[in-house]
Amino acid sequence: MSRVLDRTGTWIGWAFFADLTNALALTFGYMFSRSVTMQYPDKEKWLPYSRYRGHHFLKRDDEGEIKCVACELCARICPCDCIEVIPYEDEKGNRHPAKFEIDMARCLFCGLCEDACPADAVALGQQYEFSSFSSRDLVIGRDDLLGKPGKATTGGGVVAARLNTEQDVLVETSEPQGYNWWRNIRRT
Amino acid sequence: MELVVALGLIVFKVALLIAILLLLPLPLTWLERKIAGHIQQRMGPMRVGWHGLLQPVADGVKLLTKEDHIPAEADRFLFKLAPILALAPPFVVFAAVPFGESVSVLGTKITLYISNMNVALLFVFAVIGIEVYGVIFGGWAANSKYAVLGSLRTCAQMISYEIPMGFAVIGVVMLAQSMSLLDIVRAQANVWNIVYQPVGFFVFFVAGLAESQRIPFDLAEAEGDLGAGFHTEYSGIRFAFFMVSEYAVMLLTSVLAVILFFGGWNGVLVPLPPLLWFLLKVAFFVYVFIWFRFTFPRYRYDQLMAIGWKVLLPLSMANIIITGVAFL
Ligand code: SF4
Ligand code: SF4
Repeated sequence: MSRVLDRTGTWIGWAFFADLTNALALTFGYMFSRSVTMQYPDKEKWLPYSRYRGHHFLKRDDEGEIKCVACELCARICPCDCIEVIPYEDEKGNRHPAKFEIDMARCLFCGLCEDACPADAVALGQQYEFSSFSSRDLVIGRDDLLGKPGKATTGGGVVAARLNTEQDVLVETSEPQGYNWWRNIRRT
Repeated sequence: MELVVALGLIVFKVALLIAILLLLPLPLTWLERKIAGHIQQRMGPMRVGWHGLLQPVADGVKLLTKEDHIPAEADRFLFKLAPILALAPPFVVFAAVPFGESVSVLGTKITLYISNMNVALLFVFAVIGIEVYGVIFGGWAANSKYAVLGSLRTCAQMISYEIPMGFAVIGVVMLAQSMSLLDIVRAQANVWNIVYQPVGFFVFFVAGLAESQRIPFDLAEAEGDLGAGFHTEYSGIRFAFFMVSEYAVMLLTSVLAVILFFGGWNGVLVPLPPLLWFLLKVAFFVYVFIWFRFTFPRYRYDQLMAIGWKVLLPLSMANIIITGVAFL
């Protein structure tokens, strides 16, 4: 009560419920401010920032050769022990992974594999929609990883999207950069 | 012939009123959830129908098709009786509530009320008091800790708000020299009662919030601490009864506030049809109820007691005395 007295200065404020009317005015103001709801997945979709740690992807070098040298450092540093690498040697004597599997069901997206890699071959990209009915489907092999989308270039936007459930469940977007979601946040 | 027409008219009005009251929770829940959403910077229901307009219908279908579960140790008779006890009184009360003077349709004058009782106000308070039994029985019969706590709270809460509420309207009765709601509105043709009775209105409104079990006085439900309060064990259609009852009481409190203190269907400045004026005012109060719900936290149990006995009761007494002195 004393804080209310301080704020409104007089007992008049207390007698006429200054605190309650302040609260009502605040909620009334909020009622007419923009809503922050993102209507995922059938109307809108969030574009992650470039620092976002989503689904892994494997990179190729300029010649189109897989960058990974199968040193297994990523497998070693992974706290969840979810990377399995089996190396082989090609005709030119270069080491490459014969098998490179990441168990996405166990991965905690810490990004340590990306930091540990000496060849800058593995990284966590922008894809975040890969739920599945079976955890066995979440073990992703080398060739799939090579095809996964890389890091986001733009980000923080909300784009128009469309939900497509004809074959798989897909959230399709058309525009590359949407509106900045943060503009709707009211900060008072 | 005269008699048949009159009788038919009454039956028609009763049927219309019941239909309106039963269907009103649909738009009201939609409104409540929309307002809740926007106050919290959400959108509220958006998926079913345009901007979620059909959401209440979907919810209704869901409630009707759900299993109607009765706990094994429950008092089955009271458990079944309680929702009806909660639902019937708000409907009965509306028989005594006028919505306007009269309109003429096809040359016949039709009054916009079912009956003009000379003790309408007393009737309203007497009947609406029964509604509380539904809540108390419901909580007791379910044989569940949360439900019993909810109904115990209701018992104590009821005493502490019904008395100030009854006293608060005495000032209005003194001004109108009548207990008929129709006469009370007629007496406000020039000046609304709120001008003479601001304190009375304040007490009435706060007590009305408690009466309709809405935040900040929804102690009987108290989702935060009692599960769902007295209707924790109710499901399906019986739960829907309690919901409809809650909305009907909320509407009733708004209607009473308008009739007793805000001039009923008497307009100011803008000449609108009386019925429209009335509906606008009621809609405003319904909005205020919803607005309050999403602004204030729940009062603690002992705080409600303190407000009821130490603030509202003395205030309403003082209001009666001052009104009486002013009359002399
Ligand atoms: S992100 Fe972390 S948990 Fe996931 S594979 Fe890489 S190192 Fe393992
Ligand atoms: S991805 Fe990088 S760290 Fe992992 S095995 Fe290949 S080269 Fe080594």
